[in-house]
Formats: sequence, structure tokens, C-alpha cells
Amino acid sequence: MLQMSYKFEFFLRLFFMFFNILTYYFVAKLIGTAGQKYLAPYGGDYFSFVLIGIAFSGYLMVSLRGFSESVRDEQMMGTLEAMLVTPTDASAIITLSTLWNFIFASFRVLLYLIIGVLLGVSLAGANVLGALIILGLTIICFSSIGILSASFIMIFKRGDPINMLFMSTSELFGGVFFPITVLPAWLQTVSHLLPMTYSLNGMRHALLQGYSLRDLAPDVGTLVLFSAILLPASLLAFRYAVRKAKMDGTLVHY
Amino acid sequence: MSFECRIRRFSGGGIIGETAIETRGLTKTFVVPRGIGDLVRRRPALEGITPVDGVDLLVRKGEVFGILGPNGAGKTTLIKILCTLILPTGGEARVNGYDVEKESGMVRESIGLVTTDERSFYWRLTGRQNLEFFASLHNFYSDDARDMVEELLGVVDLKYAADERFLNYSAGMKQRMAIARGLLNDPAVLFMDEPTRSLDPGAAQGLRDFIKEEIVKERGKTIFISTHNLEEAETLCDRVAIFDDGKIKVVGSPEELKENLGNGSKLSDVFLHYSGKRFEDRGKGGGFRPDRRGFARRGGLGRRRGGV
Repeated sequence: MLQMSYKFEFFLRLFFMFFNILTYYFVAKLIGTAGQKYLAPYGGDYFSFVLIGIAFSGYLMVSLRGFSESVRDEQMMGTLEAMLVTPTDASAIITLSTLWNFIFASFRVLLYLIIGVLLGVSLAGANVLGALIILGLTIICFSSIGILSASFIMIFKRGDPINMLFMSTSELFGGVFFPITVLPAWLQTVSHLLPMTYSLNGMRHALLQGYSLRDLAPDVGTLVLFSAILLPASLLAFRYAVRKAKMDGTLVHY
Repeated sequence: MSFECRIRRFSGGGIIGETAIETRGLTKTFVVPRGIGDLVRRRPALEGITPVDGVDLLVRKGEVFGILGPNGAGKTTLIKILCTLILPTGGEARVNGYDVEKESGMVRESIGLVTTDERSFYWRLTGRQNLEFFASLHNFYSDDARDMVEELLGVVDLKYAADERFLNYSAGMKQRMAIARGLLNDPAVLFMDEPTRSLDPGAAQGLRDFIKEEIVKERGKTIFISTHNLEEAETLCDRVAIFDDGKIKVVGSPEELKENLGNGSKLSDVFLHYSGKRFEDRGKGGGFRPDRRGFARRGGLGRRRGGV
């Protein structure tokens, strides 16, 4: 409801998204077939590659910013205490407060894909079920990182290392703008530590190449592993952060 | 009444005698954070601040219990501990029979909190939307939430402004919204942290009448109210605890406390006697006519035109 009250911002964000897509469309035209060697596993077309990259990396940005910004916004607006005095669990409150961001991110992905198709990206052979499974796991992984980030904000108010770490490394090492095979072998090791790498790799294979669930199993399996570790860890961290803020009496400090 | 006795029915029945709140040796010490410079220079840790220091309290169900103390006495910290928003460092506290630390979820289900912080609402949303949102956090289904909100808007006489943005409300209207929010889950105990602080004297008196008539007599709630207003403590509370430097100095009805001190004593004398300090009386009322609900209509109480 609150987000919908800022209608102008909503339409502005949608409007400027088109410029973003067009920029990559013309960059792809410039590159042409120059990156064939690296792009072959994804169908060979740079625009299709980068479209999936920027569309789905949005979920990471939403997760990283959404959870921590929700905590900070509620702290600054003064509504956090009023929410935490209700029976609803703090983790549920923080998760639900980012729901709008995820809905908007999903709407944005859909628009990216529609515009991409209009500009020539082929999704004819896409494995939609595989893509949805990867999407679900991606949201769980990225949300867990976001909740970890929010835990830092709950205690330190500003200066969250999780956010800075993933924001600065994921676009470079996660394969958003170029395949990680472009990187030197030792830097690819960093890529393999990021959920983003498996998420985008699997998504591209599912949507652009139509890989079967069996072919997607390595990426899906790795994302399941990340989820199994990150989700409980993040919920525990958030619970600890709320307890620490209650102990220090700093729930509403910002 | 046994300390272990639990009052399972959340909705108050207005029967004085059962325990609504009980604390034993309740203590909260905040450690003063050290700067990085102090850590590097290995300066010893500063002593903590103790706004709640070994508080023993027993509040009976259905009574209006006041915590009377000057600003900075620790009243808000005490209320926040009882509302599970701050964890105590020592002692124990039970609200409606539930431990505030170990059974915090059950405590929150059975209480309401009314604060003076206008920022605790979403200013861009309407009054109705605000209440419906907080009702959803109390796990109401949307239909039930709508009905509950409609009823409460009537109770606090804000139906006429329900679909206006909160930012257009006057101070009095915002305070009534805070009360409506506090009553959303039909709590057995309603905590009120200086509810008349931002109101002019007439409006404050109107609100006090409303609390007494509507919330206590009609709805039978237990009220735990903090105030630094002597007049408020005297007219509203069945019993008062004189609270200073984090400690309860004395508890009793305003009449008892004054009588014990001798004829002609005032509550300010009681405060002086037990705390050794003069109490600055800020509550001087008068001049405002209350409306049918008990809310005065002049000054900050009426519907504000032209926004904030």
C-alpha cells in the first residue's frame, strides 16, 4: 500500500528500464559475433545472454537492498516497534515487508523478457518448469543473503559488509554481463563461490537452450546446497540481531 | 493470587483482584558503548545506566495503574520491557501470566501498546489503511480486520476521517488512532506511555475521560499508564507507583498516599517525601469543552484542515 502511494516513482522506474534494455541491445549489435567462443554454451547471442543476466540479477539487488532497507526504513519511520509489539514474528515481518520489491522485480523480469522477445530473443524452446525451479531457489538464496544483510543493519544501523561484499562482487564475478569463462582461471574460483553464478547459468540454459531438468541438475543441486546453508543461517542471524537490539534497547535507533 | 497463576482469557472482565502484571526484582542496565578510541587506548568500560532497578510490582486485573515519575525516570524502559521490546538484565516479569522473556509471543498476543510517537504510523496511508495493516500483523483475516477497524474507528470517533491520510490528522486524532491500534487485538492489558504528552490541557482531559469511561468502564481493560502529570495520575489512576531513578518508591491509591502524609498533602508532596526531589507539575488543564466522546474540539483536537 505504501509503495503504491508513490505512483510516480513506479512509472519512472518502468520507463527508464526501457533505456537500459536498449543500451544493451545496441552494445550487442556492436559486439556481433566477437564473443562467440565464450557465448556458444548459451546460444551465441550476446543480447540474449545479457538480457537474462540483468533481468535476474535484479533479484539479488532486491534481496540485498530490500531486506536491509526495509529494516532501516521502519527504524527511521518509527514503525518498527509498533510492528514488533504484535504477535507476528520479526522474521515474518521483515520478509513480508519486502514482498512488494519481489513482486516488482518479477514484473520487471517479465517485461525484460517480453521486450527481449520483441527485439529478437528466442525463448521458443525454453524449459519453463526448470526456469521456475531455478527462480525459486534463486529467491531463497538471495533472500537469505538479504536477511543476513538486514541482521547487520539491525545491530550496526549502517555499514553492512554483506551488502557491500555481494554488491561489489556479484556483477563482476557472477556472470551478469559476460560469461565467467572470460575471467582468468584463478578468478573463476571466486565465481564458483557465488550463488549468482549458478543461478544465471541455470536460468540461461533453461530459457535459451531449453536444457532438461537432468541437464540442469548441477546448477539446481548447488543452489539447493546454498539454500540449505544460507536460509537457516540467515534466520538465526536475524533472530540474534533482534535479540541483541532488544538487549541494547536500540530497536528504533538509526 | 499465585505468581504462577495464568489468566488465560485475554479480554478483560473488569474484575479487580486477579493479577495482570507482576514483576520481581526487574532490572535493566544499558551498557554505555565505548568508542573505538577507548578500545584502542584500553580504557576501562564505563559503568552502565540502570533505568529500571529492582522493580517489584503487582498490578491487578481491571485497574488503572499509573507509573508517576519525571522525565528520564525509566518509565518508558519499564513499559518496553513489559511489552517485550526491551529484554531485562535481571529479575522477572509476567504479563497476563506469561513470562516476558520466555513467552514473549503470548505476551504480545494479550497486550496493546499506546505510544505518543506519531512516527509509529505510516503517514502516507489513511487512518483506515494503517489500522488494517496493523490488524493483519495481529493475524486477523481481512474481513475480520475490516469489521474490527470499522468498530474501533467508531469507538475513537474517527469514522469521519478514516479515509484521510494520517499526515492530515491533528495531534489529538493521531493519539486516538494510537488508542484504536492498541485495542485492535482486544487486549487484556493496555500499556499507555504518556498518552497525553503531546496534547493541550483540554484535549488531555478529554482523553483521560475517554480512557476512564470507554476503555476501563465499558471494555474492562487493565491500564498500565506512565505519566509525569500529577493531575493525570490523581484523576485517572486507581493506584499509583512513585517512580524515580529506576526505583519504585511507594505504591498506593492517590488518596492513600496523600492521607498517609497528612491532611492537605498533595501528590507532589508525596513525590517529594519519597524521592527527596521536587516534582515539576506540568499538567494544568482548563478552558476546553469536551465533545460527546470526551474529546475536546478546540486547539489540536479537531479535524485539521490544509495538512500538517
